[in-house]
Amino acid sequence: MVQRVVRLIVMIAVMSLAACTVTPGDMSVPMEMPPGDPLKDSAAESLWQMAVAAREQNNLAAAGRYLERALYMQPESSWLYRELAELRLREDDPQSAEVMIQRALRLAPPRPAYQAALWQLLATARMRQGDEQGAERARLEAEMLVRRR
Amino acid sequence: MVMPGSIAKREGAIYCRPMSKAKKSPSGKRSPARKAPGRAAASSGIRWRRLVWQLALVSLVIGLLGLAWLDARVRQRFDNHQWQLPARVYARPVELFSGREMTAENLDQLLSLLRYRRDDAAREPGTFARFNGGVSLYTRGFRDSDGGEPAQQIRLLIDSQRIGKLTDAGGQPLPVARLEPLQIGSIHPGHSEDRVLVKLEDVPPLLVHMLMATEDRSFHEHHGISIRGLMRAVFANLRAGQMEQGGSTLTQQLVKNFWLTRERTLSRKLTEIPMALLLELHYSKAQILETYLNEVYLGQDGGRAIHGMGLAAQFYFGRPLAELQPHQFAMLIGLLKGPSYYDPRRHPERARQRRDTVLQAAASQGLLDDKLLGYLRNKPLEVVPKGGSALYAFPHFIDLVRRQLGRDYPAEILASEGLVIHSTLDVLAQLVAEQKLSDFLVPHKELNGAVIITAPDQGDVLALVGDKSPRSAGFNRALDAQRPIGSLAKPAVVLAALQQPTKFHLGTRVTDGPFEVRMEDGQVWQPKNYDNQSLGAMSLTDALAQSRNQAIARLGLDAGLGEVIRTLQKLGVQSRIPPYPSIFLGSLNLSPFETAVMYQTIATGGQRTPLRSITDVLDRHGAPLARYPVRPEQVFDPQQGYLLQWALRQAMIRGTGRYAVAQLPANLLVAGKTGTSDGQRDAWFAGFSGSHLALVWLGRDDNGDTGFTGSSGPLRIWTSIMAALPQRPMRLVPPAGVEMVWLDADGVRRSGQGCEGAREYPLMTSSIPQQSSACGKVQSVPGGVKRWFKGLFD
Repeated sequence: MVQRVVRLIVMIAVMSLAACTVTPGDMSVPMEMPPGDPLKDSAAESLWQMAVAAREQNNLAAAGRYLERALYMQPESSWLYRELAELRLREDDPQSAEVMIQRALRLAPPRPAYQAALWQLLATARMRQGDEQGAERARLEAEMLVRRR
Repeated sequence: MVMPGSIAKREGAIYCRPMSKAKKSPSGKRSPARKAPGRAAASSGIRWRRLVWQLALVSLVIGLLGLAWLDARVRQRFDNHQWQLPARVYARPVELFSGREMTAENLDQLLSLLRYRRDDAAREPGTFARFNGGVSLYTRGFRDSDGGEPAQQIRLLIDSQRIGKLTDAGGQPLPVARLEPLQIGSIHPGHSEDRVLVKLEDVPPLLVHMLMATEDRSFHEHHGISIRGLMRAVFANLRAGQMEQGGSTLTQQLVKNFWLTRERTLSRKLTEIPMALLLELHYSKAQILETYLNEVYLGQDGGRAIHGMGLAAQFYFGRPLAELQPHQFAMLIGLLKGPSYYDPRRHPERARQRRDTVLQAAASQGLLDDKLLGYLRNKPLEVVPKGGSALYAFPHFIDLVRRQLGRDYPAEILASEGLVIHSTLDVLAQLVAEQKLSDFLVPHKELNGAVIITAPDQGDVLALVGDKSPRSAGFNRALDAQRPIGSLAKPAVVLAALQQPTKFHLGTRVTDGPFEVRMEDGQVWQPKNYDNQSLGAMSLTDALAQSRNQAIARLGLDAGLGEVIRTLQKLGVQSRIPPYPSIFLGSLNLSPFETAVMYQTIATGGQRTPLRSITDVLDRHGAPLARYPVRPEQVFDPQQGYLLQWALRQAMIRGTGRYAVAQLPANLLVAGKTGTSDGQRDAWFAGFSGSHLALVWLGRDDNGDTGFTGSSGPLRIWTSIMAALPQRPMRLVPPAGVEMVWLDADGVRRSGQGCEGAREYPLMTSSIPQQSSACGKVQSVPGGVKRWFKGLFD
C-alpha cells in the first residue's frame, strides 16, 4: 500500500512536469460517437437522436427512457453507455454514472481519443463522489491516452 | 319512532296560539263551545282550515329545506367526485425493429394476447392482416415517459426468425415502433371498485343509442323523470309478457347508483325523483351520460367490482370499448338489468337472450336493419374466459410490483389515483419460463419450483414464476420461499479469495480432503463431498467448477469467514447471514429472488444492480410521475468480476454445467453454477448469457427429498429456457489489469504452453508469479515500467 502511494506521488510529479509540454488542446478530446460503434447506422440511432433532443429540452426522464430503449436494441454500444453516464451526471447520480462509464470503457473501440474522453468523464464522476484519488488515477489514464494519439 | 310526549308538545305548539287568544277575551273566561253549536262548528271548520294551511306551510318549509339539502348533496357529490381508479400495471411494450429476433409464432402469440382482430387490411387500431410473408397491423398507441407511441399502421416482414423489414403504411422504412403494452393487472385493496374511465366522445355512438333504445328512449327530452317513458315501459312489458324495459330514466338510474341504496322502497323512490330533477337542472345531458357510462355496475371479480363500460369491455371481451362490435355492446347493455343474473360466464344462455332483447330494442328504433339484426343474433357471446385474461395471468410478478410500489406509494393512492405502472415483464420470456418449469414437473407431482429471469445490464425482472401452476395466486415461492442455497454460495467464497490477489488466484491449489472445524459451542463441522470422496489438491478453478465441498470450505477458512460474509453482502444479500463456516457450502436460507440479486452482481462483472420490476409511473392522464432508472453500483473491481465469470464459465465447460454447453449453440457463451442442499431438499441453478440471467429452484413444500441435484433438475430447465429465448453471448474479454498466463501444474510458477500439467488462467497483474518453471518458453514477465504502471492501477 505504502509502495503504491509512493508510486502515485512519483507519477503525479512526473505528469505535472510533463504537462508543461502538453498544450490544452491535447486534452480537448472529441466527444463524438467513435467510428466502429455498433450504434452507427443502426435502428437504435434514431432513439439516441431523440434522447439528445429530449436532453437539450431538459427532459431528462424522456432522454433516459430513449437511451435505455436504445441500449435494449444495441447493448454493445459504448457510446450509448457514455451518453447514459452523462445523463446520470446531469441527474446528480455520479455513482451510476461511474458504472456506465466502466461499461462504456469495456465496450470502447480502440480509439485513444475516445477512451481518453471516457477516462476524463470517469474522473469527473469520481470527483463528484469525493473520490479524489480515483479521479486522479482516471485523469492520469486519460493523459497517457492523449499522449498516445 | 315518535314518542307520545313529542306529539303532545307539537300539538301544544300548533294549538297554543288560538287557545291563548281565547284566554285574552274581555271576560277573561273561556266560552264553552256547547253553548253555541253553530258558531262552534264554524269555528271548528276554520280551525281545521288553518290547521291544513299551517300543515301545508310547515310541509312546504320542510320540503324546501329537504330539497335544498338534496340539492347540496347532489352538487357536492357530482362536482367533487373523484373516481376510484386502481393503479394499472402493464408489461414491457414490445419493441419492433429490423433485425430483432422474433419468430412468426412469437408475433402470433403477442397479437393473440393483445387481442388483435384479424381482418383484411388492418384499417383500425387493434386489427391485423397477413400478406405474403408479412403482417400488417394497426397498433393502438399508448403514453409513456418518453411521450409514448401513436396508434399507427405498420408492416413487418419476418425472415429467418427475425424482423427483416419494418415500414409504415406507405412503405417508408421505420427505424422502430412499439406494440402497446399488455395490461397484466391492477392494484387494489381486497374490496374496491375498479373502472377504466372513458370520455363520452370516445364512446362509440351506437353503444349510446342502443343504451337509450333499451333503457331511456326519451333521454334527450325529459328533465330527469319521464312519465311517458314510464307508461311506455309498462305497456311494452305488458305486451312482451316480461320486463323488457325499465321505467327509470338514465338520470334516475345514475342517482340510484351514485347516491342511494339498491333497495326498492317508497322513500328511496321519493328521494330519487327530486334528485334526478336537480341533477338535470344543474348538469348537461352529456355530463350525466358520461358519468352514467363510467359509474354503472357491470359485474364482480372476487372482491373487485367492475364499474363502467370501459372496464366491462376489457373484463368480458379483453378489448378496449372502442373496438367492440354491436352484439358486444348489446351484451354489456343487457348486463345493466342484473350483472349477476345475466353473467355471461356463469349463465351464457340467459346473457344471450338478454343480449338479443337489447338488439331487438335497437332494431325497433331503426338502429339496426333486419339483416344486421339477424347476423348479430347469430353471433356467439365471444366472452373471454376469466382465466384467459392477461389481467390474471401473472399474479406472482404483480406481487413483486405491488411490493416494490408499496415502498413509494401508500395503499390508498395505489387503490384510487389511477396510476399507470410500466413494468419490466417480458411476456414472451414469462411464458417460456412458465412452460419449461411446468413441462419438467409434469411427472413429479410432489415437486414445485420457481424461475426468475432478468436482464443483467438493466437489472430488469423479465419473468418471475412462483408456482408450477403459474396462474395460481397462492404462495409465491420466488419471493417468499427461504431455502438453503447450497453450492450457489461457492462463487462468493471464490470472490472473497480473489479480492486478496497477492494470496489467491484462479490457479491457486486448494486441497479437497477431509478436515474438521471445532465450533465455539463445541460442535464439530466436517464437510463432505457429494460423492463422499476427496480428490486431493486441485486448482481453485476446478474446485469451483466441480463444486468440491471440502476444497471450497478450506478456501473459505483461508480467505476468512468475515470476508466471505462481507462479499455475500456486497453481492446483494440482505438477509441475516449466520457467522458459521457452513455458509461456505450454502447453509444459508435465501429466497430465489434474493439469490437472483446475488447472481445479478456476478453477471454484470461486479456491478450491483437492484432488480427492478417497474420502469415508469404515470398519472391517470399519462403525465410522467416517477422514473425508476437503472442505478447500478460498482462493488467489485472489474478484474475480480471478470475472473469469477471466467471461473463460472469453466464450470459450464468442464464442471457441473456441462449439460448446458452440450445443448446450447456453440457460440452462445454462458456461465453458471449448480446448487444442491443437504438431502437434495433443494436443487438450484443460476446462470447467465450476455442478455439473460436465469435462476431455477426446485423443492418440495414439505421440505422432502426432491430426488434431483442442481445438475439433473434445474440445469435442464435452465437450458431449455435459455435455448428458447433470443440470446447474446456473454462478453468474456479480459479487462485492463488481467492477463492470460500459463502456470505450471502446481499453480505457483509461470510455465510454457504445452508443458506437463500447465494450464492457462486469467490473472490479475499483481497475482502473476515472478518465478518461472524450467519447462517451455515463458513469456516475459511484465516488469520494469509496464509492471510499475500496472501496479498503480490494480
